[in-house]
Amino acid sequence: MQIDQTEFIWLDEHHEVSMEELVDLTGLSLEVLQHLLEIGALVANNQAEVDMATSELRFSSHSIVSIRTLSRLKADFELEQNSLGLMLVFLERIRKLELQLRGLEKP
Amino acid sequence: MKFKDYYETLGVARTASVDEIKKAYRKLAHQYHPDVSKDPAGEAKFKEIGEAYATLKDTEKRAAYDELGRHPSGQDFKPPPNWAGSQGGQGYSFDDVDFADLFASFSKGRQHSQQQHHNRPIPGQDYELTTQVTLEDAYQGMTVDLNFSVAEHDSQGQVRHVPHTFKARIPKGVTNGQKLLLRGKGGKGSHGGPNGNLFLNVSFIPHKLFRVIDYDLFIDLPLTAWEAALGATVKVPTLAGDVNLKVPAGSSSGQKLRISKRGMPKFNRGLNHEHGDLYALVQIVVPTSLSDKDRELLQALSVSSTFNPRAHFG
Repeated sequence: MQIDQTEFIWLDEHHEVSMEELVDLTGLSLEVLQHLLEIGALVANNQAEVDMATSELRFSSHSIVSIRTLSRLKADFELEQNSLGLMLVFLERIRKLELQLRGLEKP
Repeated sequence: MKFKDYYETLGVARTASVDEIKKAYRKLAHQYHPDVSKDPAGEAKFKEIGEAYATLKDTEKRAAYDELGRHPSGQDFKPPPNWAGSQGGQGYSFDDVDFADLFASFSKGRQHSQQQHHNRPIPGQDYELTTQVTLEDAYQGMTVDLNFSVAEHDSQGQVRHVPHTFKARIPKGVTNGQKLLLRGKGGKGSHGGPNGNLFLNVSFIPHKLFRVIDYDLFIDLPLTAWEAALGATVKVPTLAGDVNLKVPAGSSSGQKLRISKRGMPKFNRGLNHEHGDLYALVQIVVPTSLSDKDRELLQALSVSSTFNPRAHFG
């Protein structure tokens, strides 16, 4: 059996990916991702430092998980672009609340 | 292959309009979508619903489905010769083809032939898997066997499910619920298109001694009443071998004793040599049956001691 030595990416808040990688890995188009960025639903880690139009924007790799969920919901519920920003904000809020909840769990 | 009654799956009549089909699908999707539903069977149910909807919402696919006639769900079934969905023409073999793939290929076949015409690269499909690992393996890093089937187009453009089996290295330092992305380990791309990716969810198998929260481990530490009162040095297991823990005199149930850097490695944060902590939770345990000597000593203590743990009751 083949032993896989392929590169892996940690999907968490400590690792970063580029816009190109977000497009490649989430199933959402560059146009939709730029729309999410413009309305503030998607925030790059270095947004204050670089030109928004450049390809130097870096995102926490955990964004991939929320955006993939968004992409699935968009396809399965045939959602319109205008509702995606709101949904991404809620998905991120749920993710953060679930993380906090895990921290409060009694050992 | 087994026949599937897509109308029954969506709970609509065979004469239902596209709007009625869409309405029925949306209602069921809200109920069973894996990103929305808490029902553990929801994912499988949603897959069936999505498969039925994908066929019935498309006029051409629906007509091809209707052409197959009515059969009970689950009945062994083979499409008739010259059926509209046959990608390979008359005499095409449907062996090893899933019912759902008949219709997936029906549209992909059209797309595929156009793409073949332009020789356009088709990226492979992404997959998502969950692998369960022991705490010991997560602590040290491990190799896991991954087995799943991927959809590939055969030479006639028909979708086939092909087993995909390989070993993948899971790095040291994963946490419970960690998600990893293995690039290029999903379905194969066609015409030079890139392979799909594999999203791997890591889930810890519950451990008989340790509980884990993020990078910290927790273990119950049973102590006798006299060890807790007088203090003691006790052996405590950790994932890196036993350690001697000094229990301070006057320890009570529920107290946490911290054993520094004996938790899980924080490798994924680039902190190669750092670990979480291990917390031993004191639990005072008394014998369920006493020897005569023990009983005598405890009775003597109860008479002479002035300690009242309920003094604050007033």
